[in-house]
Amino acid sequence: MKLRPFLLLLFGLFLLTLKFALDVVMMNVSLGVAGVELFREGLTAGAFVLFSRALHISLPVHAPHSVRRLGILLASAALLLTLLLLLSVISAEGFETKELTLRPKDYATLFVSSLVGLLAGLFAVVNMRLLRDLVLQYRKRYTLRNFRVLVILMLVTAASTLVLRPLESSVVTSILYGLAIAVGVVNAFRLPWIVYLSKREKVLTLVFSFLLFILLTTLNVYLSQSTLFSYGVIYYSSALQKFVALSLLFSNIYFGMAFVSTLFHLPTAEAFDRKRSEMSSIHTLSKLVTQVFDFNELVETVTTMTLQVCEAQSCWLEILPLGDEGGSSGSRVGMPQEQIAGLKNITSQEIDDLHASGLRELRANVLVDRKPLVIDALADDPRMGRQRVASGKIASLVVVPLVSHVGPLGFLYATKSTEYGFTKDDVDVISTFADQATVAIENSRLIKKSIERERLVREMTLAQEMQRKLLPQSLPRHPHIDLDAVSTPAFEVGGDYYDFVELPGNRLGIIVGDVSGKGIPAAFYMSEVKGIFQSLSMQHVSPRDFMIQANTVLSGSIDKHSFVSLIYAILDVGTGRLTLARAGHCPMLYVGEWGTDYVRPDGMGLGLSEGALFADAIEDHAIQLYPGDVCLFYTDGITEAHLNGDEFGYERLLSVARQARGRTASDVKNDVLHSVDTFIDHGAPHDDLTLVVLRWVGPAPRL
Amino acid sequence: MSEFKIAQREKDAVHVLELKGYLDAHTAPALEEAFQTLLKNQRFNIVVNCKDLSYISSAGLGVFMAYIEDVRKNNGDIKLSNMSPKVFNVFDLLGFPLLYEITKEEQDAVKKFHPGK
Repeated sequence: MKLRPFLLLLFGLFLLTLKFALDVVMMNVSLGVAGVELFREGLTAGAFVLFSRALHISLPVHAPHSVRRLGILLASAALLLTLLLLLSVISAEGFETKELTLRPKDYATLFVSSLVGLLAGLFAVVNMRLLRDLVLQYRKRYTLRNFRVLVILMLVTAASTLVLRPLESSVVTSILYGLAIAVGVVNAFRLPWIVYLSKREKVLTLVFSFLLFILLTTLNVYLSQSTLFSYGVIYYSSALQKFVALSLLFSNIYFGMAFVSTLFHLPTAEAFDRKRSEMSSIHTLSKLVTQVFDFNELVETVTTMTLQVCEAQSCWLEILPLGDEGGSSGSRVGMPQEQIAGLKNITSQEIDDLHASGLRELRANVLVDRKPLVIDALADDPRMGRQRVASGKIASLVVVPLVSHVGPLGFLYATKSTEYGFTKDDVDVISTFADQATVAIENSRLIKKSIERERLVREMTLAQEMQRKLLPQSLPRHPHIDLDAVSTPAFEVGGDYYDFVELPGNRLGIIVGDVSGKGIPAAFYMSEVKGIFQSLSMQHVSPRDFMIQANTVLSGSIDKHSFVSLIYAILDVGTGRLTLARAGHCPMLYVGEWGTDYVRPDGMGLGLSEGALFADAIEDHAIQLYPGDVCLFYTDGITEAHLNGDEFGYERLLSVARQARGRTASDVKNDVLHSVDTFIDHGAPHDDLTLVVLRWVGPAPRL
Repeated sequence: MSEFKIAQREKDAVHVLELKGYLDAHTAPALEEAFQTLLKNQRFNIVVNCKDLSYISSAGLGVFMAYIEDVRKNNGDIKLSNMSPKVFNVFDLLGFPLLYEITKEEQDAVKKFHPGK
């Protein structure tokens, strides 16, 4: 206990002791001093003001629950009644009445009077305090004002007795008394707290308010009928007596009203409880939908809440597999099994039995109608199959489809053990949950998808990086040659390939290739081609020999659909003699002093045919380069670059190449790229594109 | 988007596929499916008429490669006809004329299945 209320209590008791001493003196000596009565009343009033103040500041910050308040009041009323009954055992002479004044005949009477006055006063303080809290709950604009008016009227009524002799009555006091009761009735209508009680609490309130009504009436009657007690309180303080009487009366009216009001609220209590729990469940669920991405947790929450809110026997979710969202596949034979999740009070075996007994067919209709399906009496529903579920556990059932904007995602099921167990409200709330579950499932799928996509993007970036490293990191340098090269895949990775190799005998190998197809499969073969080239090129003197060997190696591993086209040239860096073989690849474009043309020796793509047919087809072709001659090796990404059905083609490449003489390899490369880029209107290329430009800047051959 | 269509007909016990439009990685599965159906139905004498084929990519060429082996194992063949110069050039660059009979007219290709006549 804190110090301040304790001090207030102590000081109040001191005042009352003082008053008691005064009373004892007055028993013996008739004090003729004017105003001694007023002094007694002042002491009493001061003491109870202090008591109520002490009570006010010692109360906890968080007010107890309404029903608890009723309990506290009930207990104190019962305590008061018990104490009064105990006090009635004491034999006292009573009061001597003379000229409407009272005078205790013996000390016992004085003692009883003082104790009853104290107890009644304390009870009135507690009573008013608790009533104040009840009345002010869910308060409106005038609630506090009305209550204050009541308390002030009660105090004024009490004060109005001060000018009277104890047993005297006056019109003013009566009018004030009546007014106080009227305002009390107005305040007694303040019962909104009852509405928000749960059903159980309402029942308790009903019992408590009834008991309080009885108890308070008894107290009221007891205090006014027993001469000893009623005179006792009046003798103690006539003002206090009025206050106590009004307080008891107000309390009585209030709990009478509370009883009736609770009685009227009882039938709707269940519905109210339900709505409240629905609201809070939906609130929780919507919060969860936006915050939780754990699919299983969401599913669990959805079914748990469905179970709670509509008091179902069992509940579960069925999620259709991904990619089955088209809607048309509902009745497809051998469609993948849906995933059963969030099972509550049911086993997957029981669910299978239900489906087998005709529910699966009915469920297909739910997807078509996209409306909830309610089976009120499972046992004799004509829509169900003949093999009914034997267990009486499930008597009625609801199936609600989960439908997102892309199509059906699954179903939410709820069952009850009673027939006609689901009301329209139940179905509505299950539908609401189904909608929330739909959003949740969709969210979690989208997130999964985006994570997956991110992973793929990362891997593709990595693959791109790796493939770039498979291409030459630098160009071979020799005073007799001027080289440049470029290769860009249409996607992250591609099937184009070019490479250089320095061969023994002052020779340089230049290879350009194209794997059929695009993207990742092409990229795999491209890296294989690189491996083959790196290992076989050193062993073979002629491009043709290399090609035959490479075809044999590649044919063993390549898919039937795929093939590789290659062009491989070996340049004698000393003499400018170029030998090339073409395996199904785009012809080399040669820009010489006397003309520009394609060089197209025979040969077929690698991986098309093994053995003799390939070897017979392919040939070596040799040309002599002269100073300023330019050779272009490229892939069909250049010639087949297209816009609106129109191809860049061999003719355009030829006309660009005709301008190549006298320009550096780098210039020629840029000319071609620029020309292609302009042709496709700076759009994105459709195919992998590779270009290698070789310019001979060595000596003319000695004739 | 580029379009691709296949028309089919029987002519003198030879199955003729008429290709139209763009044959690339996107449209190749359609031709693939056509070949699969033919093989399943024991049709091994096949002529592919390329009269209206405006473009063929490497993925398109791959489809022919994928089925030629099975067809020839069953004493059949895939012959090609009526190619535009541009399409023929693609076949020719890769050396397809060494692997497939390519005729100017569909008639000639069909006749080659009946050398006696």
